[in-house]
Amino acid sequence: MTSRLMFRVLAALVAFTVLARIPVGFDVGFKFDSALAVIWAFGLLSLVLLTGYVGQISLCQATFAGVGAYATGLMVAGFHTDYLVAVGVGVAAAFTLGVIVGIPALRLRGITLAIVTLGIALVFDRYVFQDHAFEWFTGGTAGWRVDRATMFGLQMDSSKHLMSAYIVLLALFCVVALLMVNLHDSGAGRRLRAIRDSELSAATMGVNLTRYKLLAFGMSAAIAGLGGSFYPLVAGSVSPQPFWLFTSLQFAAIAVLMGVRYVPAAALGGVFMAVVPDVLTRFGHGTFMGHAYEISYDWFQIAVGVLLIVQLIALPDGVWGDLRARVRHARSAAGAIGGRKVKVA
Amino acid sequence: MGAFAAYTIIGLGLGGIFSLAALGIVLIYRTTGVLNFAHGAMGMFSTFVAWQVFYGWSHPFWPTWLATLLAVLAGLIFAAVMGLFLEFAVFRWVRTREPVVKAVITIGVLLALQSAASLIWKNNQYHLPIYLAPQQATFQLAGVPIGANYIVIVIMALGLAFGLGAFLRYTSFGRSMRAVSDSPTSASLWGVPVNKVSAVSWMLGSLVAALAGILITPFINFDTTSLTLLIIDALAAALIGGLVSLPLTVLGGFLLGLLETYPTIWIQSLGFPRLVALLVIIAVLIMRNPRGFAVASK
Repeated sequence: MTSRLMFRVLAALVAFTVLARIPVGFDVGFKFDSALAVIWAFGLLSLVLLTGYVGQISLCQATFAGVGAYATGLMVAGFHTDYLVAVGVGVAAAFTLGVIVGIPALRLRGITLAIVTLGIALVFDRYVFQDHAFEWFTGGTAGWRVDRATMFGLQMDSSKHLMSAYIVLLALFCVVALLMVNLHDSGAGRRLRAIRDSELSAATMGVNLTRYKLLAFGMSAAIAGLGGSFYPLVAGSVSPQPFWLFTSLQFAAIAVLMGVRYVPAAALGGVFMAVVPDVLTRFGHGTFMGHAYEISYDWFQIAVGVLLIVQLIALPDGVWGDLRARVRHARSAAGAIGGRKVKVA
Repeated sequence: MGAFAAYTIIGLGLGGIFSLAALGIVLIYRTTGVLNFAHGAMGMFSTFVAWQVFYGWSHPFWPTWLATLLAVLAGLIFAAVMGLFLEFAVFRWVRTREPVVKAVITIGVLLALQSAASLIWKNNQYHLPIYLAPQQATFQLAGVPIGANYIVIVIMALGLAFGLGAFLRYTSFGRSMRAVSDSPTSASLWGVPVNKVSAVSWMLGSLVAALAGILITPFINFDTTSLTLLIIDALAAALIGGLVSLPLTVLGGFLLGLLETYPTIWIQSLGFPRLVALLVIIAVLIMRNPRGFAVASK
């Protein structure tokens, strides 16, 4: 084990221990928010892989999460399987859809791929998740209700055991995030990044474009689906609303805003996406200097849109990327005084 | 047979609206290189402004034509100002960036506009149409009644396509716009006012989007999302035109309108037309050589 890997494992463990304790003192609403934050963080992490590493744009990540959620709901509510089995089925369903979406991506890139994925998100939002023809999959307009769920033989349903669901989610997120960070420098990661920089030169150097692009789409969809497949456990039911088109667009916007090339930015974005709207709806009303005011959920999406525009003009590498660059700059400036050796990566 | 003809007319009307929406996308894309995902949202916002003037602020004693005129004027003026504002505040600063970055910025615009509208007008469904032609007026063509509003839409789509085409081809400003679309750098070296050209195309594009939005109000129960999501049909039509050709775009719009309408004879589903649009997009992208989108790869 290299020292770098050990440092990363240690960082993930510390992050897990600290984050697992944070929601303990709060009420159910905030516990739900923290679990939701991890689910959204999975969606953003899937974009770090797809956009940050491989350079493919996708506007249908919430669709993958939704397919994972519905497949899991179908397995638990329809076939009464163990929740772990259901999650496996959900992830597999998302992976399959990801590979299918990846097929047109073999020939498309950039904005044409954005158009196709937008269309896919819209078809699932308006048609598959809502139409009578797919009721066997979506459980009708009411969706699947997940009242009882067992995992490892333990009761895990949302009403009483929200914290245990949160801890399982968080542990999974830390593992996947660690794998993602390690992927960045591995052989496969280098091939993926070669595709991002230039497909032509990557193919010239012997990277199998078809295989790696399909794999990237599949893995990315599986990560989003892994988060989504915990949604029924956390929320107690599945409905189309959390996975509609605008969630996909918010995923893309927030991933870019926070820094689409960095794994920790996904966690930051997940917290932002889950906690800020809830705080707004809870505390966003009252009176200020004699005037009643109300800040509704809509202000969150307005803020996301405006911040995204400002960020793309001013800080192209995202919030996390910019912070990181500043910290590195300060450190290297301080290190220069002490004569620190410069490591050439 | 009568039903078939009726569906054809509905499809052509819908297609006219898709064409109008797509024309704005193509115009903005050609001259500024921005693929505008917020096009539907921009049209939606202007439509709601017109709707507000027509149903909210009009005096009940005003004749309908006056209220309609004022509403449409208010919507169009708002659209023009919004287009200019977006160019000055946002897109002027990212002119040299990659097309994907510009497209992601338009997603930010989409999210902000959509939420702002749902903040002001709530998430209600409205069916309070603004008719540009009298609602009851119909024409008979071979025994099939055709509503005057359909004819207005079709004429407007065709007129705007050929009008814009002629404007780009025969006026000196249109020549500047085409020069900028070929290469902004060399155009500016030849003394073409690039900033002015791009401001005008944003204004025109936004105007056309507003027009499409106002014209669609008689057809659907509209809310802030459904008008925003018109973007996918508009993009499909624009892709048929290769994101370049105005006449092909209009043709694509009509074709898509018909393709989305005929299945509703058998399939009663609100979502099914979206699937048709997606299939059209994929078919067009697979059949056309990706290099055909010359501007797209620039």
